[in-house]
Amino acid sequence: MSNPTPTRARPLSPNIQIYRPQLTSVLSILNRITGILLSAFAVVMVVWLIAAAWGPQSYAVVQGAIASWIGQFVLFGATFAFFLHLCGGIRHLVWDTVHGFELRSIYISGWAVVAVSVLLTVAAWVASASLGG
Amino acid sequence: MPELRTTMIIESSAQVPRATLLKRFPVPRNFGVAPESRIGRGKTWLAPRVASRIRTFEIYRYDPDSGENPRLDAFEVDLDDCGPMVLDALIWIKNKVDSTLTFRRSCREGICGSCAMNIDGTNWLACTRFISDLATPATIYPLANLRIVKDLVPDLTHLFAQYAAIEPWLKTKTAEPERERLQSTEERSKIDGYYECILCFCCTSGCPSHWWNGDRFFGPAVLLQAWRWLTDSRDEAKMERLDNLEDPFRLYRCHTILNCTRTCPKGLNPGKAIAEIKKMVIERRS
Repeated sequence: MSNPTPTRARPLSPNIQIYRPQLTSVLSILNRITGILLSAFAVVMVVWLIAAAWGPQSYAVVQGAIASWIGQFVLFGATFAFFLHLCGGIRHLVWDTVHGFELRSIYISGWAVVAVSVLLTVAAWVASASLGG
Repeated sequence: MPELRTTMIIESSAQVPRATLLKRFPVPRNFGVAPESRIGRGKTWLAPRVASRIRTFEIYRYDPDSGENPRLDAFEVDLDDCGPMVLDALIWIKNKVDSTLTFRRSCREGICGSCAMNIDGTNWLACTRFISDLATPATIYPLANLRIVKDLVPDLTHLFAQYAAIEPWLKTKTAEPERERLQSTEERSKIDGYYECILCFCCTSGCPSHWWNGDRFFGPAVLLQAWRWLTDSRDEAKMERLDNLEDPFRLYRCHTILNCTRTCPKGLNPGKAIAEIKKMVIERRS
């Protein structure tokens, strides 16, 4: 008995291309993406601080960019990314203590992360609008 | 309102996903897919005779002897002539339409773990999923991210090698007792929820972390088994077992995504088992 020589590599069955997105995997990938966005946004914040240290003219340019609709959109997105990443991080800390692993708890805490992030984002913008004017 | 709650809050892995915004992630069909794994368009197989209740199954096919790429065939199944489960539909197709359709099956009651496959986008046992719970058309792929031998039969060699790497047997150092090694009821209850694993690998195949790092990350099924031995009061090799696991890849590529717990056809909790291992690793340091 001689084994027939394999003529070609075995195909890999599809994974991400077919696996159904679920709250579990979607929140996990969002935690990654928001983490990357926040790292990028930290650089933007440094630019803002450098501009402020540089002088009134450069500061005015950066402030103008932030005040534009695209600047406001990015800032709003960054606020939401911040709260989503923060709440997701707290959820992970709780998991590290081996609590909240029942499927029901996983889904409740998952939706709670989404809802609380939205609420905190809106609250932050309402507060900044009413306090900062 | 109760309707919305059961749609949004999943309480048991047996719950079929009802509402999803996206049936698949918004990535191209051939995203990161090697040329030999690309799936082509296959044949359509009509029901052999006129039938009033027909359900179409789109099934992944791969014939190693043809030299061709995998393809997606569509099969019409006569529901009035076929049993209620997905496995019944596969057997019906094999008997009445295309005898070359290849899949593993044995017990048809969810205890052997042979017929694990990707059904409508999530992993489950074909014998315990009702056809009536499927989408139209129903889609059937082999377990995700495995090398395919033929059609729905994946090569599990690597997964069982990973299982062997945790040395899944009782290890003792003390002298062999006169009779059995006894456990109290409480000690015995600690392996409840872990010893029931049937090694179908639905969880490992559904774990994105294992997709990207499966060569070195043990994956949920094997780590659940690792915990089953760590938490067994009769086992006396806890430290060696933890040494073997404490590794950036073997254990710590688990990022608590929890697709494993969502998909387990036995309702077990691999995600929790892995968290227990991580906690035990930390606790032995202090």
